Amino acid sequence: MRRRLLAMVPSGEDLDVPGSINMWLFVVGELFIFAFYFFVFMMYRTHATADFVGSQRHLNLAVGAGNTVILLTSSYLVALAVQAAREGSHDRARRLVRWTVALGVVFMTIKLGEWAYEVRHGYTFPSDDFFMFYFALTGVHLFHVLMGLGILGLVLHELRTPALQRQFVVEAAGTYWHMVDVVWIVLFALLYVLR
Amino acid sequence: MTATVRPAPVIGGVAPGDRLDLRICWWITVGFYGLFGVIFVLLARVMPPPGADLSTEQIVAFYADHRTTIKIGFGILMVAIGGAAIASGIVAYEMTRMSVGKVFVYTYIVSLSVGALPGCLLAAICCLTATFRADLDPQVTELLFDITFLSFVGSLGCFVANYSILALAILLDENEVFPKWMAYVTIWQIVTELLAAPVFIFRTGPFSWNGVISFWEGTALFGIYMMLLIRLVRRNITTPAAVS
Repeated sequence: MRRRLLAMVPSGEDLDVPGSINMWLFVVGELFIFAFYFFVFMMYRTHATADFVGSQRHLNLAVGAGNTVILLTSSYLVALAVQAAREGSHDRARRLVRWTVALGVVFMTIKLGEWAYEVRHGYTFPSDDFFMFYFALTGVHLFHVLMGLGILGLVLHELRTPALQRQFVVEAAGTYWHMVDVVWIVLFALLYVLR
Repeated sequence: MTATVRPAPVIGGVAPGDRLDLRICWWITVGFYGLFGVIFVLLARVMPPPGADLSTEQIVAFYADHRTTIKIGFGILMVAIGGAAIASGIVAYEMTRMSVGKVFVYTYIVSLSVGALPGCLLAAICCLTATFRADLDPQVTELLFDITFLSFVGSLGCFVANYSILALAILLDENEVFPKWMAYVTIWQIVTELLAAPVFIFRTGPFSWNGVISFWEGTALFGIYMMLLIRLVRRNITTPAAVS
């Protein structure tokens, strides 16, 4: 029975996925974990919608929207980088990944600036349930952006080294960066937009 | 996970083979974690933790209700804690078979050793003190209660280092001692450890020491991680190598 079940699970080599099957498993797992956080957030929000909306007004929608555009643009650039690497234009791919990293750093800088602004105005982690989730969820996301920048750094090393330049590494990094983007879009909707 | 049934890799021409010494260590590891679960969940009743918002009277009542089982449970732990050394040693042994430098192994061992002090021993000793010194001022008992759970759930720096170094070792290892997906399962532990940090701030809600995110989610993912790690070590020490 067990063997039959295992036979139904394709091994990495059998699956024709961009990047690496391990990275896809990681991304799917990450999405489940974030979905759990979003579920808990919505549970708390449902019980105190007015309070959550009241606190949400202290966030700057334009800053959140600006960061969304920055991250979406970076995702577009990493997709172009994957395309360039597939065509063998490794120098172009490297330039595009560098721009992706730069936009990731800009995203982090804006987010940290936003945190500082909120804290200066008295809205801190323990202020209320909304800001508890705001700092925790954006903090966890920021940690993923940081990991993404580490992975993109690895890609730059790959693209710089002619002996490496492995396509699946570039694709796996792109997969991860898109996940970081998708999670942010949901976070943006939940924290900034949802009334 | 098909990778768990593949034969263990041959490293340096030496098959890991079916070694009795490693089998003994593996069984001690399984026994230690089993005992750990019995002590923390059934005897000491610190897993799942009682509420972080209990009143002083409720805390005193908690110790009074579980006095005997806490003494038995953590008393046994004081003797059996050495099992933790074997449990980390057997993973460290697998890491020595990786292509990464020895500094990874040293970091793994030291981070777990230091982490076990606040993450396990301090919590157990505070809990034992509160039960063996039943005539303590209730406020001192409350302090011991707070130290127990803040150190047990909230001590995370060493574990973050531990998971990071293991994940990095697996990703960089060219010998495929552990499958690459195990690195990602390990990275999830880092995230859950970081989300245990807010237990110092919140007494209620998802980020308190018995909260749905800070405790339950982290514990569930840790259970999965531990089972996979033990299973992979078992595969490596018992499966005859594919090529000799």
